[in-house]
Amino acid sequence: MRFFEVLGQKGEYFLITLLGGWPTTVKVAAGALVFALIFGLVIALLRLSRWRAFRIPAIAYIEFFRGTPLLVQLFVIYFGLPDAGFEPTPLQAAIVGMGLNGSAYLAEIYRAGIEAIHRGQMEAALSLGMTPARAMRYIILPQAMRTMLPPITSFSIVMLKDTAVVSVIAAPEIMFYARNLVTETLQSAVIYCMAGALYLCMTVPMARLVARLERSRRAWQ
Amino acid sequence: MLELPKVYAEHIHIWLPELLSYVETTLRIAAVAFALAVVIGLAAALCRTSRSRILKTIAAIYVEVGRGLPIVVILYIVYFVPPQLFPGASWGWFNAFVGSVIGLGIHGGAILAEVFRSGIEALHSGQREAALSLGMTPAKAMAYIILPQAVRIVLPPVANYAIGLLKDTALCSLIGMNELMNDAKSIAFAEYQPMAVFVLAAAIYFAMSYPLSLVARHLEARLSFGR
Repeated sequence: MRFFEVLGQKGEYFLITLLGGWPTTVKVAAGALVFALIFGLVIALLRLSRWRAFRIPAIAYIEFFRGTPLLVQLFVIYFGLPDAGFEPTPLQAAIVGMGLNGSAYLAEIYRAGIEAIHRGQMEAALSLGMTPARAMRYIILPQAMRTMLPPITSFSIVMLKDTAVVSVIAAPEIMFYARNLVTETLQSAVIYCMAGALYLCMTVPMARLVARLERSRRAWQ
Repeated sequence: MLELPKVYAEHIHIWLPELLSYVETTLRIAAVAFALAVVIGLAAALCRTSRSRILKTIAAIYVEVGRGLPIVVILYIVYFVPPQLFPGASWGWFNAFVGSVIGLGIHGGAILAEVFRSGIEALHSGQREAALSLGMTPAKAMAYIILPQAVRIVLPPVANYAIGLLKDTALCSLIGMNELMNDAKSIAFAEYQPMAVFVLAAAIYFAMSYPLSLVARHLEARLSFGR
């Protein structure tokens, strides 16, 4: 078949070119994940606050970012922000856009994890004279971490896959190179299948890890 | 930034009706892809819970691949690869709409397969055994005993999937599907107003997905009652 002929002749060139986008894919995914892990926690704590003035903006944030497509958010940041005087590079726009988007999802994961911890834990910590912040930091969060780890890991898979979208704002990741290669050689069949295989090499092992975390969590409970 | 209200005051009466006219396309993609995903997902879930080794393996591979690939990549593979593999066949019917629906359907099928499987497996095996001991065939037991009970378990995650799907239709603009996002792009760049137009598009997506997410939350609260 023609497919395998092309794969044999050009496969190596395609693979090397596609791998050129791999560092950017990892950079965007890792950068956005770190951003979301930190900012998501801030949003979650605001969401759980006793004060409405904190809670309502957090709810609005979560609902907006979970209710609109990532693609639109990226476009607003990359094409829209220059109107307001900021000109982010594609990489910055990708990390900030995916990070802001991921924060909304992680905030909900954090919230579910924190709310799953029995109230008595907080009350006991407070009655021992801890401040609410200390109780959260030393008592609630470490325990919640155990239930949150599997969903956080599986969300990081989603993030890794979502990086394929940031090629639309010209961040030079795997799909960006794939599209360039197709324009150059017209071999869309081989190139897109190879790009797909590259993503699977990253996501399938991670999915295995999630399944293992889930099992060990269940065993622990 | 400060000019946004002014920009809207001048243009919204042209932009909004035009964008809204593409809502129908977006909803149609989502609806057909959803139906396809339910059919594929149900078939894959039944294969995975079946006793046949081959069916189980095929379904497991499908689920891994369908969930492991980014939607963008699936859309590109579905839309650009088959015509190149079989250039002899006639591809006239294979437009961006068909490609979008099949691509989203393949992705959704893999997600729903896992949802359905966990729904089926969550039921106590005694249910099936009782149905069989009453003389039902395995197929009848599945159709009348297992699935109706599993529906209750899977409805909330299915609703969540539907919300995700609605937003994912925006990705179909990448394979040239002329839907809401694509139209927003063409207005934004033709009028040099990316901020205003994309924020408007975001608002329209939000107006579609938010009611759905309220329904999903309601379902979750209702159906978890009593368990």
